[in-house]
Amino acid sequence: MLTITKSDLARILDHCLAGYPNEACGILGGRDGMVEKVYRMTNARPGPTTYEMDPEEQFRVMKDIREADLAMVGMYHSHPGGHAYPSSVDVERAYWPGTRLPNYPSAVYVIVSLLDRANPAVRGYRIDEGTVSEISLAVTEQLDDPTTTH
Amino acid sequence: MGVKVRIPTPLQKLTNGKAEVECSAKNIAELVDALEKDYPGIKERLSEGGKVRRFINIYVNDEDIRFVNKEETVLKDGDNISIVPAIAGGRLKNEVERLGT
Ligand SMILES: [Zn+2]
Repeated sequence: MLTITKSDLARILDHCLAGYPNEACGILGGRDGMVEKVYRMTNARPGPTTYEMDPEEQFRVMKDIREADLAMVGMYHSHPGGHAYPSSVDVERAYWPGTRLPNYPSAVYVIVSLLDRANPAVRGYRIDEGTVSEISLAVTEQLDDPTTTH
Repeated sequence: MGVKVRIPTPLQKLTNGKAEVECSAKNIAELVDALEKDYPGIKERLSEGGKVRRFINIYVNDEDIRFVNKEETVLKDGDNISIVPAIAGGRLKNEVERLGT
């Protein structure tokens, strides 16, 4: 399970909607499966069906997360015209090139579908060696108060 | 003295679980060869035909080698090298109908 506050989820949705019709992307810093910080990233290859985080920005954010004693608990990207499920390219890119070794095995890949922009669908996945499994997302008012499951 | 190399999780099987290793090399191409001597198999993971693989980013201290001198980027003692997989995705045009993603 990945826990996120309502306000952080709203920031992610705002970012994804602002990026429409292109894909938007970001990194989630936190600990123990709880998102504590949302980093909106620059999509260096913007398009309705592609994203690639700006590499230098990604490096700086990963460093910021380490220095804050947090972990990269997840990342997000939008599917402006697709469902909230990882595409075959999303899965392939989650692995080290030419292998089935996950690049970020402990991170949850959050996907925001904007098929219905008035009501975006948000789902989380873990991409492990050859398997994709859904991880439930819990949306709370505050991090110490798990109330609803999304 | 040499350089410190931060090894990403998917390559740590090759470095016996080590997240950071030390090496001595004058540039990135030499570094890849030096790593291969200590950790056989790592060169093929990092590069293809002498070039760093697409979707793998290498930083010397805080600089992306693509904006310095790529594989020829010069290293000096005490440099911190980071190997970082890109975070990227997308979908094939014909995947739209097939998988509905
Ligand atoms: Zn995607």
